Amino acid sequence: MAESIVTTEAVHGEHDDHAHHPTERQYWVVFVALAVLTAIEVAWSYAGLEGAALVVPLLAMMAVKFLLVAGAFMHLYFDLKIINGRIFTWAFGFSLLLAVIVYLVVFAAFDLLPF
Amino acid sequence: MTAVAEHADTHDSEPHGQHDDHGGHRTSLGLSNMKLAMWLFLGSECLLFGALISTYLLSKANFITEVMAGNPNVTSTMPAELMEEFQAAGSVEPFWDIPFTSASSFILLMSSLTMVLAHKAVSEDDDLQTKVWLAATALLGSTFIAGQVYEFTAFFREGLTYDGNLFGSAFYTLTGFHGVHVSGGILMLLSLLFVAFRGKLNSSRAETVELVGLYWHFVDIVWVLIFTIVYLIP
Repeated sequence: MAESIVTTEAVHGEHDDHAHHPTERQYWVVFVALAVLTAIEVAWSYAGLEGAALVVPLLAMMAVKFLLVAGAFMHLYFDLKIINGRIFTWAFGFSLLLAVIVYLVVFAAFDLLPF
Repeated sequence: MTAVAEHADTHDSEPHGQHDDHGGHRTSLGLSNMKLAMWLFLGSECLLFGALISTYLLSKANFITEVMAGNPNVTSTMPAELMEEFQAAGSVEPFWDIPFTSASSFILLMSSLTMVLAHKAVSEDDDLQTKVWLAATALLGSTFIAGQVYEFTAFFREGLTYDGNLFGSAFYTLTGFHGVHVSGGILMLLSLLFVAFRGKLNSSRAETVELVGLYWHFVDIVWVLIFTIVYLIP
């Protein structure tokens, strides 16, 4: 019986998964936000700025676009809520942090960071 | 018998195939095995593109240094006027056609929207919308690839060849690998469209569409990075 209960919760979880996905309107809102951010990025690149004033805002907008696509379109924001076990979440977060640090160190070693 | 147990008995009596179509039973993790496998695959793809982007940045920095120093070996395939433009700008910016690439980026972003709408349509058993959005996604992806072929041709005519210098090699390898990934995604979409036209794509296979969608959005995310790092940051 215990096995049956586990299976049932899993199946219900699956239905909940789809129920928690964004609505069609929310998808359109995310798309408009992505399009606007892209337009701002392009305009910013033509603003005649140099160094960190040019690069940092561009990287920030890129990161926001990354999070919007991963969070909303790839359902990562919603799936993370249903994933059981903090170990997976921490392992994923730690791996991501480690990867970012490694790339920053490599770029710093070759003097590629804008600051 | 509790309500949960009653549900359990009901579901246990269902054929196993119904669950398998979603990619198998949920695991204790909360995600289906198929979805977890796709995320692990995408994680490995992050390493691939991370390495390609890093290589591009390093070769670009080296290329600019050589151009500013007036080393003719690195720009032997390029016309002298272009070399002068590089030296005046102190970057590879004169190469890029930002308005054109911006339009390509917009097209790929739009294809991500049509992809999620296709997934939503198949989840709701809306056969017509599923076909329309899948076809739209494949069409937008193809348009992006056509734009990339045009861009590569223009760059090649301007003198940026694959074997002319390390910068050219790194650029074509990075953007070419991305193009190959987009092309692979288009084939997946056409396969789904084929299954849809055979009437076999319904809500029981929604997760299959979602998995293809995950791949497609990942390709879109990689382009978000490439567009900013390669094209917008001089």
